[in-house]
Amino acid sequence: MDAFILSYAVVNGLLQGAIYGGVALGLSLIFGVLRVVNFAHGSFLMLSLYISFWCWSLFGMDPYLSALITVPVMFALGYMVQSVVIAPLIRRESAMVVEPLSALLLTAGVFLVMDNMALMAFGPDVRALQGAYYIPTIFIGGIPISGQRLIGALAAFVVALGISYWLRHSDMGRAIRATAQNRDAASMSGINVPAVYAVTFGIGCSILGLFGALISPFLPISPSIGLAFGIKSFVVVVLGGLGSISGAIVGGIVIGVFEAVASQFVTATSASIGSLVLFILILVFRPQGIMGRA
Amino acid sequence: MLSGNLGRALQRVLLAGAAMAALGSVAQAADAVKVGCVLPLSGGSAAVGNQTRVGAEIAARLINEAGGIKSLDGAPLEVLFADSQSKPDVGVTETERVISRENVSVLCGAFNSAVTFPATEVAERMKTPWVVVGSVKDEITERDFKYVFRINNKATYDAREQIDAIDLLKEETGEAPKTIAMLYEGSDWGRSHAANVKKIAAERGYEIVLDEAAPPNQTDFGNQLLKIRAARPDAVIVALYTPDHLLFTRQMMEQRLDLPFGVHSVGGGMEDPSFYKALPAEAVSYAFVQEDWQIDKLKVTDDPVIQAANDASVEALGYGLSAYSAQGFSAMYVIADALERAGSADREKLREALVATDLQEGPALITGYQRIKFDEQGQNTFAHGVISQNLDGERKTIWPKANRASDTAPVWPVPAWSER
Repeated sequence: MDAFILSYAVVNGLLQGAIYGGVALGLSLIFGVLRVVNFAHGSFLMLSLYISFWCWSLFGMDPYLSALITVPVMFALGYMVQSVVIAPLIRRESAMVVEPLSALLLTAGVFLVMDNMALMAFGPDVRALQGAYYIPTIFIGGIPISGQRLIGALAAFVVALGISYWLRHSDMGRAIRATAQNRDAASMSGINVPAVYAVTFGIGCSILGLFGALISPFLPISPSIGLAFGIKSFVVVVLGGLGSISGAIVGGIVIGVFEAVASQFVTATSASIGSLVLFILILVFRPQGIMGRA
Repeated sequence: MLSGNLGRALQRVLLAGAAMAALGSVAQAADAVKVGCVLPLSGGSAAVGNQTRVGAEIAARLINEAGGIKSLDGAPLEVLFADSQSKPDVGVTETERVISRENVSVLCGAFNSAVTFPATEVAERMKTPWVVVGSVKDEITERDFKYVFRINNKATYDAREQIDAIDLLKEETGEAPKTIAMLYEGSDWGRSHAANVKKIAAERGYEIVLDEAAPPNQTDFGNQLLKIRAARPDAVIVALYTPDHLLFTRQMMEQRLDLPFGVHSVGGGMEDPSFYKALPAEAVSYAFVQEDWQIDKLKVTDDPVIQAANDASVEALGYGLSAYSAQGFSAMYVIADALERAGSADREKLREALVATDLQEGPALITGYQRIKFDEQGQNTFAHGVISQNLDGERKTIWPKANRASDTAPVWPVPAWSER
């Protein structure tokens, strides 16, 4: 294995890993605040990819501009799913448990409904978007870096920083953090907890809306695309630390680089098995994740 | 939808019958010959199954319009479609049903090898001839069955043809790859194809420098592309389904990965009409594709029947003939030919006629074959795929040489990205 190939693999891994991290941000945020593992995470991404695709194919909208549509639409959808589907469950179980485990089953149901509705509505065909212009591939020391993937990777960092700043410095952010720390105490201090939950879920989904628009230019879209990212997001979030914003990015990069380098020695199939072994090891020896607090 | 089409077909049959009766060419109305067609009309392979159905329907209609089976007093073909739902168990039950209840003379189908394999066992046991459409599993025609006939390729032919095409180009230009990489999807089809390629490439003196299986539905092919880059092969043989093939092809263009002797796809994604809609022409240019029918057939043939079939396909599906509709079309003409020679709708006589099939011209050869003749196992040994190269935004046949248009010049070796 020469140094060129190795550094190439690391660059590949960084790009792909940051995108994994960006996609996983919403999952981590939602868990951190609501303690709900959103199993339908990948399906929301699938949906925003389709919205971005239809904006392009029906209205000729640029995929990056379609973020102006996907972000608010996904926010509204997330807000609605939380307040209509998940909130009643949280209300019913709040007296008994802090982490509504049955919400996992509920979101698994949402996942099945969304994926199958997409299959019915859009059919099994694979679609792909073709931008009007071509973002060139940059070559650094002979290593090609796809412009589109670079944009996605940089966006992951920007969104993570933005969310962290907003959580720290805005009123709503502080309300969200307070709710995450102690739901009952927050409620007693006059915070509208159900609204905080719905907004958090909405933000988690709107991040997916953004990434749907950012990755639709280079990813073929099919109704099952969500699952590929959904499972990856779980691994990433658990690895980085459930509920940690920076953890999602770090986890994504660890998985990305690990798989890129490992698949130079073994097949990609074995490399993915390796990353799942890594996942189990983290769960056993550091259950709070790399960046998580114990 | 099905009943509507059938209804329309029946209407035409009745009209044709009426016309003939009026002409007084037939003394009495001949009974229709029932042909059963087991196809995946729903489930995972529904898109393929429905294209095959349309091809068979068009063929039956054209045959009936041309006077039906003349040796049977102009008896029309009546095609009964049965839905396998892409599942072996359903396919078997449906096969039993059309044989015993509908009393068909002959069967065809069923695209999915997993369905055809057990369903043909039923047909063999019930002594009903079966004309295989689309299934490539080798063993289907390796069981000493007497009632099973396959017009199309076996799986091993696919691999051999890819290497044959490389050999042909080598013969013509004196240039050829020395090393080959293989990238394939890690399930049944990809793995068996890779094993076949490996064996044949070794016999012909090509070195396999990378043997890489890929898990399905990937979000990034960067790692595999890097492996190919590191292995420095002269050419790569690819067997991937549509989503992965799209991603692989797009990233290969983005990364400007040069392969002096190009990408050789064994179909899969590259055979899917939606594939070309989803990529810029630049991404696929110079790539080689092995397909089950000759993509530029319509340009090189002047057979009015084939042109009419293409028009009917556009009317029914919104696009022209595909590998799948062409295979359904071909099967119907093979059956009609056997019926004509048998002079009877009796299953045993029809089987004997199918054994003696030797077609060297006509619409049955729509898929690009020079001949249809079955060996003692029922395999058409003259079956072959057609390999095309993407040139000037179109797939142009380059192998076999007999199918190549006179103005097609393969580009070999393929230019580097920087020179395109």
